[in-house]
Amino acid sequence: MRNRTVKNFLAIVFLVITPVVYSQSSRKDLVPVRWPDLTNLEPTVREQVKALENWVVIAARNPVIPPTGLGEDYGKLGQIYHAYSLISPAHDCYLNASVLAPKDFRWIYLLAKLDQQEGRFEDAIRRYRSARSLRPDYVAVPINLGNIYLELNRLDEAKTSFSAALELDKNNAAAHYGLGQVALSSRSYAEAIRQFEATLAQVPSANRVHYSLAMAYRGVGDLEKVKAHLAQQGSVGVRVADPLVDGLQNLIEGERLPLARGKLAFEAKRYAEAAEEFRKAVAAKPDSVIARINLGVTLSQLGDVQGAAEQFEEAIRIDPGRVNAHYNLAILLAGQGKHEQAIAHLQSALAVDPNDSSVGLLLGSELVKLGRCSEASELAAKLRTNFPCRPKE
Amino acid sequence: MRIIATVLVLLFLLGPVSVTGQRRQVVFKEVAEQVGLRFQHYNGMTGKFYLPEITGSGGALFDFDNDGDLDVFLVQGNTLEPNTQPSTTLFPWRGPETPRGRLFRNDLNAKGAQLLFTDVTSQSGIVATGYGMGVAVGDINNDGLPDLYLTNLGSNQMYLNKGGGKFTDVTKESGTDDPRWSTSASFFDYDRDGWLDLMVVNYADFTVANSPNCFASNTARDYCTPRVFRSPGNRLFHNKGNGVFEDVTVSAGVSKEFGHGLGIVTADFNNDGWIDVYVANDGDQNQLWTNQKNGTFVNEALLAGAAVNRNGQTEAGMGVDVGDFDGNGTDDIFVTHLMDEINALFVNLGQAVFEERTREAGLGMPGRRFTGFGTLFFDYDNDGWLDLFVANGAVQLIQKLVRQKNPFPLGQPNQLFRNTGKGGFVEIMDQAELQPLEVSRGAVVGDVDNDGDADVLVTNNNGPARLLLNQVGNQNHWLGLRVIGKSGRDMLGALVEIVVTENNVLRRRVRTDGSYLSGNDPRVLVGLGQSLKVKAVRVRWPGGITEEWKDVRVDQYTTLKEGR
Repeated sequence: MRNRTVKNFLAIVFLVITPVVYSQSSRKDLVPVRWPDLTNLEPTVREQVKALENWVVIAARNPVIPPTGLGEDYGKLGQIYHAYSLISPAHDCYLNASVLAPKDFRWIYLLAKLDQQEGRFEDAIRRYRSARSLRPDYVAVPINLGNIYLELNRLDEAKTSFSAALELDKNNAAAHYGLGQVALSSRSYAEAIRQFEATLAQVPSANRVHYSLAMAYRGVGDLEKVKAHLAQQGSVGVRVADPLVDGLQNLIEGERLPLARGKLAFEAKRYAEAAEEFRKAVAAKPDSVIARINLGVTLSQLGDVQGAAEQFEEAIRIDPGRVNAHYNLAILLAGQGKHEQAIAHLQSALAVDPNDSSVGLLLGSELVKLGRCSEASELAAKLRTNFPCRPKE
Repeated sequence: MRIIATVLVLLFLLGPVSVTGQRRQVVFKEVAEQVGLRFQHYNGMTGKFYLPEITGSGGALFDFDNDGDLDVFLVQGNTLEPNTQPSTTLFPWRGPETPRGRLFRNDLNAKGAQLLFTDVTSQSGIVATGYGMGVAVGDINNDGLPDLYLTNLGSNQMYLNKGGGKFTDVTKESGTDDPRWSTSASFFDYDRDGWLDLMVVNYADFTVANSPNCFASNTARDYCTPRVFRSPGNRLFHNKGNGVFEDVTVSAGVSKEFGHGLGIVTADFNNDGWIDVYVANDGDQNQLWTNQKNGTFVNEALLAGAAVNRNGQTEAGMGVDVGDFDGNGTDDIFVTHLMDEINALFVNLGQAVFEERTREAGLGMPGRRFTGFGTLFFDYDNDGWLDLFVANGAVQLIQKLVRQKNPFPLGQPNQLFRNTGKGGFVEIMDQAELQPLEVSRGAVVGDVDNDGDADVLVTNNNGPARLLLNQVGNQNHWLGLRVIGKSGRDMLGALVEIVVTENNVLRRRVRTDGSYLSGNDPRVLVGLGQSLKVKAVRVRWPGGITEEWKDVRVDQYTTLKEGR
């Protein structure tokens, strides 16, 4: 009995302290990762990527790590690469992740997404189909497939895919939009109108759809509707809900990409989204004057004058010679009737760049408001303009 | 053993066979160096990612000495930063003199049909030492000699061809300068007064001082998009006929819309007999300026369906060309774009109503892989259907090439598409002369060796000019036409209809514009397939009169003169 207990004990100890060595067969199928050149990346990003690369290199050499665990590591590194558009290494990592964890929907789906981005459509189709067998409910799969078929001009298959998406989500705007494009390609204008209108009913803010709708109305000869919809067309398109791809943005560190994304959102007049991106940029690099000025401008668009002023003031504190910060702050102050303060900032800006006509013109107008006519006149002479001015009594 | 030998002999006789079993034609042979066209483009790069350094430059095929063969002008870059020596930049200039645009005379006819170019820049009077972008060709004083307009980052130059191989800079007296960043330009007679007017496309309000640091999505430094610079607006000059042009940009209405302009092409899109203008913009809506027949234009691109892609998105319009690719008697538009976008084929349904049918025509996927610039509708195999050439080269660093330590990681292959005659195109693969990874910009079409098929001159940024001699076109029959006015000038804008049979009428236009930063052969070269004759040739002159010629002989060039 005792002997048996000892044996059992030994067996338990053996299980606990002896590392489990997993089969190496799946690892033989891994592809070598085409490591990216990180030299010119933003330092924060370089460190982030390098740390994860090192982790994966170590993990790949460690036979104790189970295939699914190593797959997770490769997948995570792939996501980081993907987030920074380092496409080839992302592809290699996803490929390895999907070999090591073939039942994990994420890696095969993201691999398909990369194939689609890169125009390897046949690979993308094959992988999306595999992904669909793992997660039939993920509506972005049939939408992406539909878009690929559309681009390949395989209209029947595109229609089938978009219809499949509608079966998963009967109000899916991206599916309606895709079906509209299929109909437009087939010159089935009435059907295109029906689908584009269904799209806009779901996402009225997707003003780019008005263009396609206008073209469909042109097809049926309704010129009034054509003009009406062209007048409403803009730059906001239909986005398919895709948590996996959207989630990649959360992996991004550093200032540069949030800045770029914020500018894009700002140009598209999506100010709340722009502010969020600029806040991320400020958080990544608190002494970034550009990030603060952009955040300030965006906040002022959102009506947050106080928040905007704080950002401009902080920018000036960091770089007292930044013309844009002074100018923007002056505009806010002038709008609040604080003309003296506005003038002070405009004078600071003009001291840095005497040729900035926008600053000069605003300063002139502020001086006029306070009846400081001789200063306005002196400035007008420099700017070769005229500031009609009446001195204050 | 004997069977194998027989098979080998058969294969040898048939030429290369592709894996699909089809006979593979070698379409082009690159001969630039061999025929004396030695030109290396210089872009002045210093590693600071200034946008102009990857934008140029173009070239022109034109017969400056009127000896019946096409000469070449190639536009050159320069340094961008003040106080920088060309020999000290990232790709140092090694030439014996400072970088400048160069004129090459074609001595084909003098040498008895042997193609040979001679650099005649120094005796030509052309001093093109600015930061050159493009070139436009047109006879501005109706003396029968083609003149040159050179666009620059900075002041442009108008060179009047005085004959005898001499040019004079008449920029100031002609009033045609535009000191901004000009790209493509076009000569056309918009008011039918018999004098060529000029439209100049401008790109971006760039200076070295106002150029910000931009970053790619991997956070590394990269080239900025033009959107970080204001778009300066285009300029229209009216030729008063006395050597002076008047800036009519505002009065003609073309100042009403702005865009980062790169490409321009003129054609009578709505078939009303008056020439319209299409401008390809980078990141902004393209413009279709329809001629109102009273000296003014209205931009109707959006309503016409030619401003944005089918999803309503603006794209990065670079080069543009126009041609009746589907043979329905209307001019269609092809615009090249950035990689990951697809190029755009706007099919003219008549009366300037367009539908974007890129993917339906088989041009969607192939264009996605590359950034297209120069592009040409031309009939490389003389089968009567207009094919397509696209000159490619990226504008943002290609990571694969960065990883390979390529010092100029923007290179991409060029592309040739054959028109199937059924409303679509197929890419002609495996063409060795199109494969080198170069940063191509301009593509210029012309029959350089006068053998009845269309050759292509390709200009490369930070690389050599390439001359692609057509090896296959004249296996079919062809018709070559020089279409000149009473004064002897090439009648740009004339519409030529070649009546092969009652049911087969080919429509071509006389032009030098289109593509990107470049000037094309003004002659009309029409492929006839197996047809040995044509019933008639009709020319609708820019003034509105139509004339018809019978018995125009095939397989040779013929001059058609207005009013005979």
